[in-house]
Amino acid sequence: MIIKKEDLFNFFATLTETHANPPQEIIIPAHSQWRTDDQRNFKIFKPTGADDNFTLDGYRPIFPLKNLFYITREALSTKTYEGPERIIAGVKACDLKALQLLDKALINEDFVDPSYKFWRQKTILIASDCTEVGNTCHCILVDGKPYAEQGYDINLSPLQDDTYLVHIGSDKGQALVDHFRKSYEVRDNSDETQNQVDQNRQQIIEQLQEQNRQYDRTKTYDTLKAARMDVWKQSSAECIGCGACTNICPTCYCLILNDESTDAAMFKKVRSLDSCQLHGYARVAGGASPRPKMEDRFRHRYLCKFLYMQSNFDMLGCTGCGRCSDACAAEIEFREATQKALFNENKPIESN
Amino acid sequence: MQNMYEVIPATIYETVKESPLIKTLRLQPEKPVPFKTGQFIELTLPGIGEAPFTPSSSHFIADNMDVTIMKTGYVTEHIHGAKAGDTVGLRGPFGSHYPLHQFEGKDLLILGGGCGLAPLRSLFLTLLDESDKYNSITFLAGAKTPKDCIYKDEATQWRKHDNVQFIRSVDEIPPGQEWDEDVCLVTKLLDKVDIEPTDNPAIVCGPPVMMKFGTLDLLKCGYKEHNIYLSMEKKMYCGCGECRHCVMGPYFACKDGPVFTYDQIKNEEAIWD
Repeated sequence: MIIKKEDLFNFFATLTETHANPPQEIIIPAHSQWRTDDQRNFKIFKPTGADDNFTLDGYRPIFPLKNLFYITREALSTKTYEGPERIIAGVKACDLKALQLLDKALINEDFVDPSYKFWRQKTILIASDCTEVGNTCHCILVDGKPYAEQGYDINLSPLQDDTYLVHIGSDKGQALVDHFRKSYEVRDNSDETQNQVDQNRQQIIEQLQEQNRQYDRTKTYDTLKAARMDVWKQSSAECIGCGACTNICPTCYCLILNDESTDAAMFKKVRSLDSCQLHGYARVAGGASPRPKMEDRFRHRYLCKFLYMQSNFDMLGCTGCGRCSDACAAEIEFREATQKALFNENKPIESN
Repeated sequence: MQNMYEVIPATIYETVKESPLIKTLRLQPEKPVPFKTGQFIELTLPGIGEAPFTPSSSHFIADNMDVTIMKTGYVTEHIHGAKAGDTVGLRGPFGSHYPLHQFEGKDLLILGGGCGLAPLRSLFLTLLDESDKYNSITFLAGAKTPKDCIYKDEATQWRKHDNVQFIRSVDEIPPGQEWDEDVCLVTKLLDKVDIEPTDNPAIVCGPPVMMKFGTLDLLKCGYKEHNIYLSMEKKMYCGCGECRHCVMGPYFACKDGPVFTYDQIKNEEAIWD
């Protein structure tokens, strides 16, 4: 099925009037005033309604989708969460994959994070294929693709003439599309349209390959553990340990639990994002820490992404979005540091 | 499923000063908090914070709970200031426990030092409640000085059991303190023990350096890696494998531990730090 972009945005704009149970919010990436190094505008997920320049195309927004499900700082309640559904559109494959990991971490047989679960159940996810490549994008290095294959309710693949090819991924997605069809015309797709989508996707993959051709990921990640400490020390030399990389990572979910009770009868727990890059992260009472040095903590993050999360969740903790490299104040390139640790583990480091 | 963030209020009905730095709180929770010995709870002081502790009472007692706490940081300093009648909060229990069924019919060796005796007291009292299930129980307990020795007055009672041996030592006797039992590192007490190590379990808890050398000495004695049970202390924040602070490679100290066998974790990094 093929729909017009204009119809889709009109549909979003009028959904509150036309839908019996309208969504509480529709969130779409919007261009911000800030620019990347190559003068492209950052995109940020924003609720529709204002006069923002919304778009479903391009590459991933600057902030991860995780922030909309796993709130950065939140008082935890033991009551049940309630509220109407919401729609998030323009979601990219790297963020969707990260949600799969978070699902395993935050909704499992040992533990359920009540607010994360609530937002997961109450959100309709509309994915869209990447039509551009960000400077740090590298999903193809970590078994990813610049388009979603699962985990969405609806997927949109842009075609010529401002139209989208629609794929439905769930009953929720089907219901929304059925509602769309009550007011808007759709066209049937043909082999030709699918060919066009395949060609567009292939083109983006080639751009990604070109951009990442100096990085070799033919080795297994097990060798990361064997990498000499001075490799990590060199890579982390400029690291200031601010934790920006983990806070902006779509799969990092480490939390800190604070007690903010003011009254003993009403215990109030507040959870906020924590970062394994911060000095006090693993320190125990009495002052001992398993990772006292910056290079220990720096290395821990790479091992967590490629080995520990793989072991915990049967998937890599890196989805290749490249946000950590974008966010780094010291401009440490995640791909570069991974590459060095994978391949230089036994070579002595040349001093500069 | 239990909501992991649910806090059960508990009233302190007694506090016992065990040593200059260690106190035992006796708690009466609003509703029972049944646990298995070795598991831990998160204890909250309202408005101050939360920290993990292993109960030090028998797991056969469910409606109240002893928690032995060393003053070593911000939260524990405030906990030491708490008085009988104050309210604290409990979450849990969390984590793995000592596999008591595997200990049945065996000669048990328990090795502990300092505040590491807290979880071991829970284990020991739980074992004593069914002491005929075990062939023998040997408890080696260490402290820095006689003043630091905790559960002092309970030893006489413990030594009354037929198949129980309770030996304790201090590292040194500073001037002005008295002690008529052993003076040596607790690991040295192993020389006094006559247990066939092949199939028997050894349970270790104490300060990291004691755990490390205790484990190495046990291995030297002939204990098997899978028979050495360690109670690991890491920063357990949430208690349920969410917050990742306590990860040891692929393991979570809070969820897969705190009780590990040595062969499970021997290849992980910085286990003794």
